[in-house]
Amino acid sequence: MFESAICQIIFYVFAALAALCAIGVVAFRNPVASAMNMALSFGFTAAILFGMGAQFLGIVQLIVYAGAILVLFLFVVMMLDVKAEEHSGLMPMVVGVVVASIFAGIVTHVALHLPGAQDGACPVITACENIDALAVTDTPKAETAAPQQTGFGGSLPQLDSKAANQAANPGMRPEAAAAATGYPDVKLLGKTLFTQYNIAFVILSFALLSGTVGAVALARKIRKD
Amino acid sequence: MMDAILNWCDNLLENDIWFYLITTVIKLVLMFAVILAFVVLSVWIERRVAGWIQDRPGPNRAGIPLTLFKRYGSKEKQPLKNVLHYFGIPETCWIAKLCTWLKLDRDIPTFGLMQPCLDGGKLFLKQENTPSYVRKIYFIIAPMLVLGPPMVAAAVVPFASSASTCWGDINMVVANIGIGPLWIFAISGLSVYGITMAGWSSNSKFPFLGGLRATAQLISYEVAMGLSIIPLLMMFGTLNMQDIVSNQAANGWTLLPLWGEGLSLQRWALMVPMVLSFIIFVTCVFAEANRTPFDMAECETDLVGGYHTEYSSMKFASFFMGEYAAMVIGSALVVTLFLGGWSIGFGADEALHAWCDWVAVICQFLMFIIKLLAFIFFFVWVRWTLPRFRWDQVMKLGWLVFLELAVANIFLTAAILYFIK
Repeated sequence: MFESAICQIIFYVFAALAALCAIGVVAFRNPVASAMNMALSFGFTAAILFGMGAQFLGIVQLIVYAGAILVLFLFVVMMLDVKAEEHSGLMPMVVGVVVASIFAGIVTHVALHLPGAQDGACPVITACENIDALAVTDTPKAETAAPQQTGFGGSLPQLDSKAANQAANPGMRPEAAAAATGYPDVKLLGKTLFTQYNIAFVILSFALLSGTVGAVALARKIRKD
Repeated sequence: MMDAILNWCDNLLENDIWFYLITTVIKLVLMFAVILAFVVLSVWIERRVAGWIQDRPGPNRAGIPLTLFKRYGSKEKQPLKNVLHYFGIPETCWIAKLCTWLKLDRDIPTFGLMQPCLDGGKLFLKQENTPSYVRKIYFIIAPMLVLGPPMVAAAVVPFASSASTCWGDINMVVANIGIGPLWIFAISGLSVYGITMAGWSSNSKFPFLGGLRATAQLISYEVAMGLSIIPLLMMFGTLNMQDIVSNQAANGWTLLPLWGEGLSLQRWALMVPMVLSFIIFVTCVFAEANRTPFDMAECETDLVGGYHTEYSSMKFASFFMGEYAAMVIGSALVVTLFLGGWSIGFGADEALHAWCDWVAVICQFLMFIIKLLAFIFFFVWVRWTLPRFRWDQVMKLGWLVFLELAVANIFLTAAILYFIK
């Protein structure tokens, strides 16, 4: 009971901080302050993911977004004349509010249409209850890999790591599976991405690659001679 | 009374949560102390090795001068002579000669170890000068962002195997999480914010150029660094650092597969991609730690001083502490992934564990420290051997050579794992 209360408090504190920093991103007039707020927001989101046991997703959030993409943002933003940005007129503000509200609308729409959202249940729990439908594990032990208790207190799922470890590595010795700590989220994620969603994954990679090639083609100066 | 206290401690440790908390705090303090001590120590190693390589003494004095104290210090009445006289040892015997050779007759010898400490004291006492034109908040946050991340990143580095006590097992790593190397990449990747912030908030041209260079370099080499260890992860099949090291202890270090399953044909065929990935990884660690030949961000011949030009006193020192901490963490990572981490090797780990857990843990900890020191020595050796690269060469090496090599290496490893059984 005591532990679950602490987990709940931690979750809500991080969620509130993430939301606060997200507001800061649009509220600050100084673009560097906005970028730093965004970095903080990514960090708090990663903390929430860590708390849920999705360590890999959390760390990818940090490496890819906070560590690489946002640094590139900062790179560009620092070239700007910050003083001029701070004193810019009403127009950028209006545009910002419109874009932010559109995004907020999209997020609300998605949240309301997640499974179980209409009945007031937590979407994550509903998704985990239907874990067989997700077909993350395809061994007979899959049912034991389903969540047995809830982490982060009562409202978010925690997965049975030992059973899941065995399910994810059929060849693993039982004692090794018992010793393995943490949920094998890297393995499960990889397995899902490279089996069930393989085609979508490859298509997405090609889309990104063509984007990169296009950017290089546009940015390259064509010599006259 | 004593019994009551012992009973209370016993009850406290019986509780799983308290046991976990207490052991974690102890490990945390130990790890932190080791890293901070190594920051000071690596400054000393740097200077001693620099002196040695350049054929000069380097810092070897800065002892505690006994000559200051009148009573012992005058030339005729040296402390060593007094002591020898007290024990009735003649001044020409080998003990006296050894003491003279160790310079025990003059000062209490510290072999120059006091020098980094005095340097720290000097930097603390210097005047703190913040220019009026800087952006204050970011200017103050930047040094913290450089020093903090390497300390946090150390949490996943295992410094010994596990020991069992009557209350439960203690795993000798602060955070035994399933994403070890990624954690280090993610957290030490955050220190790029500190350098960028420092360059930008200084509000002057050369620091800004230094900051931009550092950002570009760190991002470029992070890519190759991440890709270069994938062959290793394919071989071990796990991301947990403690598991990786246990595997090496049982089956041969990554670069020295001489016992256990390491003697198989597959492991020896895998040596080719492993050596390749070792070379790429070590070079990237040099670039990430901003060390020569990749110290573009503080290249004083181009940039006055680099991103820290406007800093003074302890803020300036914390940039350097951060750099040395990054070097220590980088060395620890290389040692853990490629050189067997804490493992003593040749089956000695298991034998020691069978004899006594705690002896094994202490030996492994010492082994880890020795390997770490050896690699830090290598860092310094390279610094005084190779000249600095040109900026465009650095970028070319990162994007055109290492990235392609790392990707090709992944395919090579996959082919070996698939075809050679």
